[in-house]
Amino acid sequence: MTRFRAWLATAFAEMWRGARFLVTGVPLALASLWLIPVVVAVTLVGWPAAPSAARGLRRWTAIARRRVGAFTGSPVHQAYPPLEGGLGDQLKTVLTDRSLRRDLTWLVTNGLSGTVLGFLSAGLPLAAVNALAIPFYWQAFPADQPVASPYPVTSWGGALAMPLVALGYAALALFGIPRLARWNAGWSRRLLSPAPGIRLTEQVAELTASRAAALEAHGAELRRIERDLHDGTQNRLVGVVMHLGIAERALRRDPAGALPMLLRAQDAAADALTELRQVVRTIYPPVLAERGLDGAAAALVAACPVPCTITASGLGRAPAAVESAAYFVIAEALTNIAKHSGAREAEVRLSTRGGETLVIEVHDDGLGGADESAGSGLLGIRRRIVAFGGVTELTSPEGGPTVLRAELPCGL
Amino acid sequence: MRVVIAEDDALLREGLVLLLRSEGIDVVAAVDNADAFLAALPEHRPDAAVLDVRLPPSFTDEGLRAAVEARRQFPGLPILVLSAYVEDSYAADLLADGAGGIGYLLKERVGKVEKFLDALNRVVGGGTVLDPEVVSQLMVRRRADDPLRTLTPREREVLALMAEGYTNGAIAGLLVVSETAVSKHIGNIFAKLGLPPTDTGHRRVLAVLAHLKA
Repeated sequence: MTRFRAWLATAFAEMWRGARFLVTGVPLALASLWLIPVVVAVTLVGWPAAPSAARGLRRWTAIARRRVGAFTGSPVHQAYPPLEGGLGDQLKTVLTDRSLRRDLTWLVTNGLSGTVLGFLSAGLPLAAVNALAIPFYWQAFPADQPVASPYPVTSWGGALAMPLVALGYAALALFGIPRLARWNAGWSRRLLSPAPGIRLTEQVAELTASRAAALEAHGAELRRIERDLHDGTQNRLVGVVMHLGIAERALRRDPAGALPMLLRAQDAAADALTELRQVVRTIYPPVLAERGLDGAAAALVAACPVPCTITASGLGRAPAAVESAAYFVIAEALTNIAKHSGAREAEVRLSTRGGETLVIEVHDDGLGGADESAGSGLLGIRRRIVAFGGVTELTSPEGGPTVLRAELPCGL
Repeated sequence: MRVVIAEDDALLREGLVLLLRSEGIDVVAAVDNADAFLAALPEHRPDAAVLDVRLPPSFTDEGLRAAVEARRQFPGLPILVLSAYVEDSYAADLLADGAGGIGYLLKERVGKVEKFLDALNRVVGGGTVLDPEVVSQLMVRRRADDPLRTLTPREREVLALMAEGYTNGAIAGLLVVSETAVSKHIGNIFAKLGLPPTDTGHRRVLAVLAHLKA
């Protein structure tokens, strides 16, 4: 029974989410329908306005991209050729833009289907509620104009069968709406995403950029280590030799004055050791060397303020650099969860694929809506992963759950 | 001798003050940044300044720039620059004004107090003191047809000591040979490298460095 209730709660939540997506899509779809005559007019007579119309369409579909991105939890990319130069150049761009044609296809299909789906997803639950209410009010209607939903109710027999009809509507709503919403979001995503060839060009640009970012991050890391060593550890060691030097001079003149200097030298040496240990930890955590990635990750999980579990299966030893990157990615992800997600629990899953790729998954049941552009944490994770030729995938719809999945080639 | 110190690391700053004071040197100001350093100079008119290359806020070469600026405001002010590492290009910046009274040493040289004080005194006396590390950087990167290759090992030693800023007498003492022997080596070196003979002061260091950097 409790399991049925849990299932029902999830089904309701999903229906609610789907219905919200479809219903809020109705104004967009209706407006899209109104835009179709504009497009036709521009095509037939308003050629000079075509570039402006294309710009408007790009902004219009951007709204839809954001909606679909937020609903599915992964962003919908867009890639358009730049509208530059004189009117002739711009018209040529508009005419050859494949993304524009896909956008127009979306405008028409979504204008029609989005309206229907939106009303359907609002109507089905309402119909269910209405069917439940009919036994109470069917008699109020005149016999020659009976309530007809979906059949004319003219007797108590027909009225008392209504709860069954309500059950039917409810089942349709519960099962149908989430699927319809996913279906609508799915083909919207396909049409609104850049055409395959364009996507590839964009990916190459992305890869080049992320490679540069990875190198930059690596450089920043090296500078940090250099500074930590020179300004921290080395200064402490200079302190050691300096105080030993003073002590040496004191021993010749006034041996009693040497002792405080020796003690200072000793303290400085101890400080140097502490700082060295800290620097080493930020370069390569010793716990990785001693206990492997699963052991080190377990230590991170244990230290996480959000209750967190870990499953690690089939992990062998990977190269130190890969393990170290994985370790810092998990650490960063758990820090993010503790700081921003509001999650009640989290889970880290470590596995390998074919022994060649290390797969890290970090789940949490928090608020979702994690935005990569907002904080540097997610960006840092992506950079670390990209530096090893891996991929990062973040799924974080509004309302959660958030799943961060990173694949790291082990180079084995 | 009255000295101003600029060092951002508190422990090292205190240590330096302690070290110099216990040797009878009057530390009139000890500051932790370049601006305070430049402000302390007109106020105290020190005989020398000792400063760290890396100072806040960016911890790159503020100290170096402060040294150059201090020399612009107070030409000939003896300055001993200390650094966690040495670069021959930094040495070139410091020596650019052509006047003496410049020292450039690795920080850890302060541990050998006697040598450190000697270096400070040479700088105050208008001499040039370069860390052996800088000189060895200058002496390694050489072409195949370099005239340095024609020097004997002893002559290379003498050349390095000249570049570090030692006088003939000091070189004789360090190598445990007579001063005439040092003079003879130096004559050979100048002949082999095609340098014009110069006296033993700062100009000689500049000439040697100019040749090494060429």
